[in-house]
Amino acid sequence: MQLGGLTLPTASLLIVFSAVTSAQTPPLSQQPPGFDDFTQRVQQYMKLRKALPNERTTKRQEQIVDRRLSIADAIREARPAAKQGDIFTPESTPEFLKVIRGALRGASGSSVRKTIRQGEPVMGVHLTVNGPYPEHLPRTTVPPTLLLRLPRLPDKLAYRIVDHDFVLQDTEARLVVDFIPGALP
Amino acid sequence: MQRLAFLLVIFLSRPIAPAQDSTLPLKSGSVRFAVIGDMGTGELPQYQVAQRMLDFHQKFPFTFAIMLGDNIYGGKSPADLEKKFEIPYKPLLDAGVQFYASLGNHDDTNERFYKFFNMNGQQYYSFKKGNVHFFALDSDYLDPKQLGWLEKELANAGTDWKICFFHHPLYSSGAFHGSSTELRAVLEPLLLKYGVQVVFAGHEHVYERLKPQKGIYYFTEGASGELRLGNLRKTDLTAAGYDKDRSFLSIEISGDDLSFQAISRTGVTVDSGSFRRPGAEQQAP
Repeated sequence: MQLGGLTLPTASLLIVFSAVTSAQTPPLSQQPPGFDDFTQRVQQYMKLRKALPNERTTKRQEQIVDRRLSIADAIREARPAAKQGDIFTPESTPEFLKVIRGALRGASGSSVRKTIRQGEPVMGVHLTVNGPYPEHLPRTTVPPTLLLRLPRLPDKLAYRIVDHDFVLQDTEARLVVDFIPGALP
Repeated sequence: MQRLAFLLVIFLSRPIAPAQDSTLPLKSGSVRFAVIGDMGTGELPQYQVAQRMLDFHQKFPFTFAIMLGDNIYGGKSPADLEKKFEIPYKPLLDAGVQFYASLGNHDDTNERFYKFFNMNGQQYYSFKKGNVHFFALDSDYLDPKQLGWLEKELANAGTDWKICFFHHPLYSSGAFHGSSTELRAVLEPLLLKYGVQVVFAGHEHVYERLKPQKGIYYFTEGASGELRLGNLRKTDLTAAGYDKDRSFLSIEISGDDLSFQAISRTGVTVDSGSFRRPGAEQQAP
């Protein structure tokens, strides 16, 4: 049985951590309306994430890379059946599209598009859920006025724009957690 | 052995111009630092700029350097970090120079865990040196949380000087990207409200010093490794600029005075000068 991409034993185990981790994700009451489902999925993901090791500061890059790879492996193991749409669910995706496309079209649309262009977005990249965010890819710049309108994310997650896709990335694991294909026209 | 051979090639490829004289005042107790941006290519010009910084360090012993992003282009393997940071700046690191990084669009957020970058695991952070408070921002991801943090930090900064550094220039005459107008709309009100005096940015692969904008001094130094030759379209914004070669910037702050000297890869001073801290009382005649 799957719960938002998590195996049931993992999900059960992680309930133990829920009281601790709930503080990491802004509560639903502080999020823009229409994203409750998304926020709950993110909270579930962060419960899983809390059980995994964190990166630590070091002078040895090989340790950073090794930890990143092991965190990514552990996430894949905990979400073996994760697929596109598990977190950007059919319920929340229309809300994201409304906000993203509204920002691109609105009065400040040209400056939002300019910010994306200035971030040197890479085209023609094929992403997969649980797959790595390619190492050579620029992070791309997410327009701040767009970030103001989207649900806030906990520290280890970030929104990315890759080609026409809108991506939820685990920044420490450099993993694609989920994405909305073709979100940007 | 490969590494030794690589270092030998670098040494033999040093720019042969004489070490640049310092125009900086070298006052006792001053805050001295270097500014580099868009440097992490691992290619020869980066090494030559690093060598020029080392030469200049003999005359102007700066104690730290701020990095304006795109610290590591392309791959981020241990070998990449060695080639694109540790080898070129090793003599400076050995001399005790500390590097404080901000992240650019070509960086990985996990660079914040790399101890040589002094980010202490944070994507954005602040630190103090003497009477100067520095704020390193992640301009690729200015979310409400980061903006809230910045406002709180700026409000509580008790120093005379407040300096922000990040990757994207709020004002620029670069032809490739130009000014980051949306970031400016979000950031500039905070910079003005809390009296930030100086901003350093990269991203455009040229050097530019801008005329003060609403009282804030802006520098772009995005050519310490990369270069977009001839890409500066001097505009009404431009006070001085250089797009003929790579460069780095040296800064000295003493009391209410800031002095700067921009030096090219070949050792030519391409810009220099000084200004008094905006808001500081004028010196008695």
